[in-house]
Amino acid sequence: MTACDVIVIGGGHNGLVTAAALAGKGRSVLVLERHATLGGLAVGDEFHPGYTSAGPLHDTSTFASALRAELDLDAVETPPAVFTPQIPDAGPGLLLHRDPGRAAAEIGRQNAVDANRYADYRAFIDRVGGFLTGVLERPPPTPDALRSLLGPAIRLRRLGRIDMLEVLRVAPMCVADWLKEHFESELLSSTLAVPALAGTRSGPWSPGTAANLLRSEALTRSGIRGGAATLIDALARHARDRGVAIRTEATVTRLRTEGGRVVGVTLADGETIDAPIVAASCDPKHTQLELLAPATLAPRLHHRMTKVRASGAMAIVDLALSAPLRFGCRPELDVAHARVVGTIDDMERAFDATKYGRVSAEPILEVVVPTVETPSLAPPGHHVASIMTHFAPYDLDGGWTGDVADTLADTVIARLATFASDLPGSIVARRVRTPVDLETRYGVTGGHIHHVEHALDQLIVRPDPECARYATPVAGLYLCGSGAHPGGGLTGLPGMLAAETILGGS
Amino acid sequence: MTTSRYDAIIVGGGHNGLVCAAYLARAGRKVLVLERRHVLGGAAVTEELHPGFHFSVCSYVVSLFRPKIIRDLELARHGLEMIPLESAFTPLPDGRSLCRWPDWHRTRREIAQFSARDADLYPEFGLAMGKMAYFARELIDNPAPDPASFDPRELMRLLRLGKRLRSLGPDLMHLNTQLLTMSAVDFLDLWFESEVLKAPMSVSGVIGTFLGVRSPGTAYVLLHHYMGEIDGAFRSWGLVKGGNGQLSNAVASAARASGAEIRTEAPVSRILLRNGEAEGVVLDNGDEIHAKVVVSGLDPRRTFLGLVGEANLDDAFVTRLSRFKFRGSSGKVNLAVDRLPEFACRPNDNGRADHLRGDIAIAPGIDYLETAYDEAKYGDFSRRPYINVVIPSVLDPSVAPPGKHIVSCFVQYAPYHIKEGADHWPNRREAFGDAVVDTLAEYCPGLKDTILYRQVLTPWDLEKEFGLTEGNIFHGELSPEQLLFQRPVSGWAHYRTPIARLWMCGSGTHPGGGVMGAPGMLAARAILKTNAT
Repeated sequence: MTACDVIVIGGGHNGLVTAAALAGKGRSVLVLERHATLGGLAVGDEFHPGYTSAGPLHDTSTFASALRAELDLDAVETPPAVFTPQIPDAGPGLLLHRDPGRAAAEIGRQNAVDANRYADYRAFIDRVGGFLTGVLERPPPTPDALRSLLGPAIRLRRLGRIDMLEVLRVAPMCVADWLKEHFESELLSSTLAVPALAGTRSGPWSPGTAANLLRSEALTRSGIRGGAATLIDALARHARDRGVAIRTEATVTRLRTEGGRVVGVTLADGETIDAPIVAASCDPKHTQLELLAPATLAPRLHHRMTKVRASGAMAIVDLALSAPLRFGCRPELDVAHARVVGTIDDMERAFDATKYGRVSAEPILEVVVPTVETPSLAPPGHHVASIMTHFAPYDLDGGWTGDVADTLADTVIARLATFASDLPGSIVARRVRTPVDLETRYGVTGGHIHHVEHALDQLIVRPDPECARYATPVAGLYLCGSGAHPGGGLTGLPGMLAAETILGGS
Repeated sequence: MTTSRYDAIIVGGGHNGLVCAAYLARAGRKVLVLERRHVLGGAAVTEELHPGFHFSVCSYVVSLFRPKIIRDLELARHGLEMIPLESAFTPLPDGRSLCRWPDWHRTRREIAQFSARDADLYPEFGLAMGKMAYFARELIDNPAPDPASFDPRELMRLLRLGKRLRSLGPDLMHLNTQLLTMSAVDFLDLWFESEVLKAPMSVSGVIGTFLGVRSPGTAYVLLHHYMGEIDGAFRSWGLVKGGNGQLSNAVASAARASGAEIRTEAPVSRILLRNGEAEGVVLDNGDEIHAKVVVSGLDPRRTFLGLVGEANLDDAFVTRLSRFKFRGSSGKVNLAVDRLPEFACRPNDNGRADHLRGDIAIAPGIDYLETAYDEAKYGDFSRRPYINVVIPSVLDPSVAPPGKHIVSCFVQYAPYHIKEGADHWPNRREAFGDAVVDTLAEYCPGLKDTILYRQVLTPWDLEKEFGLTEGNIFHGELSPEQLLFQRPVSGWAHYRTPIARLWMCGSGTHPGGGVMGAPGMLAARAILKTNAT
């Protein structure tokens, strides 16, 4: 039996952020990671000899700037742009740069009106960005602490009457309506809508998705050179430098409590480790419904936790390719990140399937080609494409079988091939991971890559009012993963804010 | 050309226009109401469409009509009589059915057929919702709070609302947040397990809205069912004796009694402006009538783009107005039948049928409702729609000849924007009517042979005949971004408009649509407060 000040469950990016922050303040910290490698959802694996996939969380551009400084990372605009292909005869596709000027120029190639409106859209995002990051980079406001409401209220009013009312108007809207107020081009609207829907169970017509889009736009900065793998390495190094002990292949099976207070954990092999504080970066349902002994939680909270929506709807198809992925509409481009979207209505139809427990026949695809930036992930001249596929519900009617998964992979490849006709001939190997596979591999309940669904009622108050500010009713137990405010994605913010809470309270 | 001078001209003799007129007249103002149609009431009208059958053509039940208005205007004295609905019946295609009654014990037995757990929780749910509704009433009975205001009184009000919210305690406060943000289905999932119960409950969250029961933000409309008041009895729905037009007639009678003048068949073609101020109206026949203020009971689009004209408004206002969403989603099918309908799953007992003395929901499952919505999303009416059936003649025999009945079917979804284009609705009208009757006949096998007369109202008809833009029964969607201080346009949520001396009093203003009367009352109060008249 060993002992330390703090045990962090899970060596994902949030767990590592929490651990490093606590160790930096002199705490002795032990990170326990179930898997053999660190990084959780941010890392891929060698799915075919010589080919390594991207992880489900691949976008480093949302990583908190407050944390970047400490890590000494190279920030570059990677991926420099998102490409939305069109059928070759229909048009040249849309290469959407993050830089507003370059984006407007590209948009202007197809639609001059939209180019101006895109500039207006980004200007609005910039004006309200400070307010939004103020909400996202601080512990969530709660009526229990009036002062936590005052700050956001003042920052909101500082936006001025027009922008303030506009933020309040837009947030509960659906992304389809909001984007259509701005843009004529379906291609542009569809491309912009993806981050609002990715990893969620909502379609472009679902109210509240505009809040998801605002969140994503406010968090997006420049990417990190080397991608998620580099980020995870840097986080682990940083944590170790500060004295954090990290154990991999150490599965926590039980949170031990005494008199309503956490006292340590038990591992799968029966080993027990004592600590007065445990920070769980695994998802809140796993933490509170599975790791805590039955009857530890008050029945009411237990019941509410069972009702927290955390059922994923994303599958991943990884392809090993003998040639670069090239799109017919613009064959000269080396594309690191592409979105296959169709019209807004097509996207909504893709979502509809999830409501009935079916897989979409025309899914939305986010294609990540990590080998464009990091060629070493595949043999020379070869490539890897990891295709995040929306929507494929965890709770599939009839259950996920090998055949269903194979059919999904066929669907995805056929859909992508309509834009990239050389693709099928270059496939060396493929692997499909269903939400059930993601649950097994990454230990996320329901295979949900954000741990808890991103919906208005589960943002801010996340995952439940009684544990929305990192502390739980079990003294000493904290939530520090994506299931806590401000939610999923490679932000590091839940980990950072949880650490601040722990330090403030101990 | 005739010119006469009034304190206020009300454009549109719908129930809100009439309520506003009655309050202004009671305060001693000289008021003129101008109604385009031959009958008063707007969408709250009774019309004898078939000999002996008096249909509540559009709106057909009442729950949220403010009791204060009934008292202030002494509407009982002017002929208003309400009859509470006695049940909520959900037939199922497989021969089972659920009927909820005012008597909780009886309801409990019904629900227990499907889930004992749900039966236990049902009263607790009702209590929680009742508490929430009590809070929501504060918002309905007052002008919308303005979070952008610097007026100390407004700030005090916001603080007071906040305090009131906090006084609910953490659990109910959380419930409140959930109600505002969740879908009706997700919200009901927190409580119940049986779909037979959840489906008809959830569907009240989408009435009149172009959203599905799984769309976030639909939960709060559930509250409406716990906010209704009839004769002081909280949370019940009712009919107006003689049809919904009798409510309009009672309000009109009260207005006239206070001296208001009301003209029908007097369509207003535009609002008369001078130096950017409203000074009266011009009728279709060219007559000009002047007044100190003009109050429009029409929806915002018809008011501003129709009567004022885009050229007289600033661009930013027009842009914001153009973003206000209407897109009606419902239709109405009114049937005259020669005998009481009989549901296969719960046959009538020698002409007695307690389960028909209320609201009947064709809502057999959540996927059924969601499929109906999906069809509408892509520009078609639902083949198997949600139908809210009321047979008013069971409770109020005066509306139909002896032994015969009216079957009122509120139908969702019938999108205004069908994929062929809204103007193609006349070609689709009968197909839509057939879909509704066919669906209902699946539950009432003998229905078709008993139909004496059928009226089908599509959203296009609601627009053309009743002046509801895009057929939206609420004068604009009741979605969160179009409520409170944003209804119809942020900055203009307090019944005033950018045109001086022009006011709004219709359902397109706070607190929104339904036969509530609140916009009319609050507008009158705001006008009187400014001494504009």
